[in-house]
Amino acid sequence: MLRNIIHIILICAASLSAAAAGTAQNRGIIEIPAGSYHSVLPEVVGEPVQVAAFRLDETAVTNAEFLEFLKVNPEWTRSEIPPVFAGSSYLEQWQDDLQLQDDRNGNEPVTRVSWFAANAYCGWKGGRLPTLHEWEYAAQAMDFTSAKEADRFSYELIGWYSAVDAEKTGLTGSTGIENRYGVKDLFGLVMEWVEDFKPPVGEDISLDCGTVGRMKGDSSIYSYAMSIRFITRMSFDPASTTGMLGFRCAYDPLPPVN
Amino acid sequence: MKRFMNYLAVMLFIATGLTTVQAQTQEYTIDGMIFGMPEATVFTDDYDGPPVVGDYVTMLPKLAKLDYEGNRHHQVRLDTFVQEIEVAEGVRYRAWTFGGMVPGPVIHVREGDRITFTMKNRSDEMVQINEPVSELLMNGENTGGPSGLDISYEVNEEEFASPYLKQIRENNYMNTQPSIMPMPHSMDFHSGTVAKDDKWRTIAPGETIQFDWVANYPGTYIYHCGTPSVLMHTAMGQHGVVVVSPKEGYETDDRIDHEYVVVQSEYYLKKGAGDIYQYDFEAAQNINPSHVVFNGHQTILHDQPLKANAGERVRIHFSNNGPSQTSSFHVIGAIFDRVWMEGHPDNEMKGMQTVLLGASNSATVEFIVPEEGKYILIDHEFADAEKGATGTLSAGPRQ
Repeated sequence: MLRNIIHIILICAASLSAAAAGTAQNRGIIEIPAGSYHSVLPEVVGEPVQVAAFRLDETAVTNAEFLEFLKVNPEWTRSEIPPVFAGSSYLEQWQDDLQLQDDRNGNEPVTRVSWFAANAYCGWKGGRLPTLHEWEYAAQAMDFTSAKEADRFSYELIGWYSAVDAEKTGLTGSTGIENRYGVKDLFGLVMEWVEDFKPPVGEDISLDCGTVGRMKGDSSIYSYAMSIRFITRMSFDPASTTGMLGFRCAYDPLPPVN
Repeated sequence: MKRFMNYLAVMLFIATGLTTVQAQTQEYTIDGMIFGMPEATVFTDDYDGPPVVGDYVTMLPKLAKLDYEGNRHHQVRLDTFVQEIEVAEGVRYRAWTFGGMVPGPVIHVREGDRITFTMKNRSDEMVQINEPVSELLMNGENTGGPSGLDISYEVNEEEFASPYLKQIRENNYMNTQPSIMPMPHSMDFHSGTVAKDDKWRTIAPGETIQFDWVANYPGTYIYHCGTPSVLMHTAMGQHGVVVVSPKEGYETDDRIDHEYVVVQSEYYLKKGAGDIYQYDFEAAQNINPSHVVFNGHQTILHDQPLKANAGERVRIHFSNNGPSQTSSFHVIGAIFDRVWMEGHPDNEMKGMQTVLLGASNSATVEFIVPEEGKYILIDHEFADAEKGATGTLSAGPRQ
């Protein structure tokens, strides 16, 4: 854990200026500077994963935003989407193609979207889904004052993984959890699609009892929570549409301003 | 183009997955036992029927009578889904269950039986198992708790896909309420001998897995979810037992008056948001359970004691489902005159006061009830007994 903390501090120092610049960008899209992080995948144990600069949505895509997408892309509505692109519970929280159920809120993260639909949305927005490494790198850019605090956060995170309430996700921006660049709700709201959610190494390590032990990069609680996240993500199918799974988009860096 | 590449990448993942499964599909026999089951199938459908199906599938502590000769091919379904349940007074949490309770239902088969098992991951769906039994009550149906040998489902029997579903409607002591918590899950039957990367595969919410296994070995065997974190999934409630009765029976079969199933397990819970409890990872890692229980509830075997009479012989199939602790099972006031470790008739011991069981070990024990009165079932590891691992056998006068 100490190693991770030092690592986090180093990233932090290296990127202070970039973070400050990031605040002036488009509304709700945040610049994430290049850096590295420690994955729990066996192929990269011990080696920090390098991640290039990219941009990431400040919050998860909401029901209201997804509605805008559906209005101009009716092929992704409930009635039109081909079954191969989404499970039968696709957008179940919608009363009909373009109407949310009465008790659902436009500012909740959109859930019950398949990987295909999430991918199409991000393409429409001029972006893409974040890669697994981009997402994890951004999610782990959290500043903890001590190993103890990091542990406490991780315990809560595991608690959340065991108590997600898919019926009441809460509104985007409501978790109070924010990374050091201002990206919100990477934890505590919904789980999120990434572009390569099922990396090829996933087949090798298989999803069995010992997998957590084999995945943990170190013995920290944080690493344990991360393993649970990786494993849950790897179990999904691109057509999966569940109530705990939403997404946000990533974008390549803006070209330098002259 | 980018989007096309993404699709291609996903198709490649899927193709990789398909080619790595190398299940044995040719059936063969060794020592009279059958191996080599067909490959499991995983599919998506809109099934929303009864979540528990099976003629010999019951709620703890009951065990269905095997009223057939020789071997049978069972069709058993245990869907996995979330229910908010009570596990001690004032302690409710959203459990990950097989069939809606913790532990899951008891599956009873005979050595040599074949089971076609089906499980849908309905963790993303509200599954109701607690509809009222008013109609049954009006018909004068017996509502008397889980104890007693009779599996009384004569009335409206055809409405129930399993005795379990009727029993839970009559006696919903966990006060189950449906809930949603989508997670990947799997099923691992210790009673089955198969390749785990095929049959015990993890399935996503909405998916169904179906596979066959043969009960080659007699005894009482735990089943549990094997999806990582396996500690979390089992501690959240995904476990139960299969009782495989020996082909030739136990030699005491004709002298037994009562037969029960008791399962010990641990909960690792702490207060979460509101009044609901949630998984306490720190406690689970440090093996410091909040509750150690028999049949999933801290007081159920006192609230609804097992029944017998003085002079009778009681058989208990006792399983320690863990996930992490040992159990030193003892009955206060009795001595086990027979103990079959793991329930296998060859593993016979006599005159035991206490049976030590590791996590996932079981024993079939028999004892004579000496006098009218109370007999306490207990984990003689007293720290665990005081967290709840006790129960009552209430004995009536000698008949």
